[in-house]
Amino acid sequence: MAADASGTPGAVLGTPGSRRDALWLLILWIALSIIGCLLVALVLGPHLPPGRASEQAASQQTDYIVLATMATPVVIGVLLYFGWALAFWRQRPGDETDALPLHGNVRVQTTWIVSTSAIVIALAVYGTVELINPAGAGGGQGPQPVFQNGMPPAASLTSWSPNSNNILQVQVIGQQWAWTYRYPQFGGFETTQLALPVNQPVQFNVTSLDVIHSFWAYTLGVKADANPGVNDVAYATPKTVGDFQVRCDELCGIWHGSMYDTGQVMSDSDFMAWTHATAVKMASVTKILPPYALTYDPTTIPAGKINQELGLTSAGGGFYNPADPEQP
Amino acid sequence: MSLPARAATLIVAFLAVVGGVIFVAFHIIGGSQPPTENFAPYAKDGAVDITLMTTPETTVSNKPDWVSYFIKNPATGQFDHTTYFAVPANTKVNVTILGYDGCTPLRNPLWGKVAGVVNDAEQVSFYNKGKTTPVQSVSTFDSWADCSVQHTFAIPGLGINVPVASPPTLDENNNLCETGPCVGNDDDTGNAPHAVETFSFTTPKTAGTFRWQCFVPCGGGYVDGNGGPMGTPGYMMGQMEVKA
Repeated sequence: MAADASGTPGAVLGTPGSRRDALWLLILWIALSIIGCLLVALVLGPHLPPGRASEQAASQQTDYIVLATMATPVVIGVLLYFGWALAFWRQRPGDETDALPLHGNVRVQTTWIVSTSAIVIALAVYGTVELINPAGAGGGQGPQPVFQNGMPPAASLTSWSPNSNNILQVQVIGQQWAWTYRYPQFGGFETTQLALPVNQPVQFNVTSLDVIHSFWAYTLGVKADANPGVNDVAYATPKTVGDFQVRCDELCGIWHGSMYDTGQVMSDSDFMAWTHATAVKMASVTKILPPYALTYDPTTIPAGKINQELGLTSAGGGFYNPADPEQP
Repeated sequence: MSLPARAATLIVAFLAVVGGVIFVAFHIIGGSQPPTENFAPYAKDGAVDITLMTTPETTVSNKPDWVSYFIKNPATGQFDHTTYFAVPANTKVNVTILGYDGCTPLRNPLWGKVAGVVNDAEQVSFYNKGKTTPVQSVSTFDSWADCSVQHTFAIPGLGINVPVASPPTLDENNNLCETGPCVGNDDDTGNAPHAVETFSFTTPKTAGTFRWQCFVPCGGGYVDGNGGPMGTPGYMMGQMEVKA
């Protein structure tokens, strides 16, 4: 890939295979790589998604900066060599001589293979560490999450207060075509609004009542599939007070594109006030909700709620039973 | 074949494909959109009245066994088979829904709560055999225990959710409307048991388009009940255009 280092010493600039070309390429590559890495890390990096609105998002942005910065010298090297070849080594008008014969160069090939392998392996190690810390990088981990580093335990599922050693539980329920949210630690009310306290670890329990959706609070760095009959756990610790967008990231029907809403991160005191006000506002419907559970099966209405007159035992529509899934 | 001829052939083929896609997009997909009932000219003193109807059948369409919404044309007074309507911005919309369909338990009981409308409540009465019950103000329906909901009228973008009450169970079982729209004096049509409910909400101050839908999975025969009429414009979902 590089100019043949055994080329003609002292040849004029632009002679393929010359040491002078190789030296210039090396100097330019080093200079441009330093400039490029600084620009990527310090100028572009802070603007890369998903931002730093949560610990998980900040971790993801840092990962992107690291990846982009490490890739910059490689990209610059390839483009520089390509541009140099176009500018200096192209065939001149009237020149019908053959190009210089190419020979393998063990030193160059070894350098290339070792350096790129080192980069890839280092990134694999780095990515693995980042996946563990903090708490699975915001992705859904299924019902039994492996990566919980830094997250407090679920000490109580019926109460919560700020800064307690008890993680806030928020159930995310996908349905065609809206998200609803249930707060089991505040009486189990369910609402269409998603509110979170700032600087408090949150455990999202994500499930679905019909088809597969995907809960994507992208500025929080959280994305977890919402599967019917499955509890998919993801973690986040919001760091900034303000609004954030929630979208569905799994094609789920005709209104998939409209399945989004706006969540809000607020101070601890505002969050506590909001939960109490919402619990009161939703009290009339909370008492007719099914008992809180990590998954719901709409084909079964809890005993005692069945309409005896009609003999109804389930809600409308079918349901993807995990043991016997229907196929569209 | 010469090079210019090949290039010309390629360009013609490319344009034909693009033209075909555009034709399908505009004349088949776009052409299937139901007409929009424009209520904006009928607004008076900052308010406008609209009337919707739900029916268990849609005999005016090629899907007669689908449930559907209808909208009363403000000019003709007839119920048109559409779910698209336009209202002016920053205006109080007084909605009346004539609910002729039978009940279906909600998949998520949360949608049994009235939200986003004036007083978070709807006014409900029931008609059967020439008699109308007194109007009741209802804020929450327990569709599992009472099977009291047939559909919902929900505009998620505005936080609006209104369950459409269903007529008393025995009444509806004995005499469901058999046409769509349900009009006339025959017991099988306009005189069939139905719920009459009213509610009001205020449109946003700026123009925009908001989708609305039913949250009862009432597309019988389709996976999750959300196919068929639930996913087809003009039946159980539509759009509200807010005009500036």
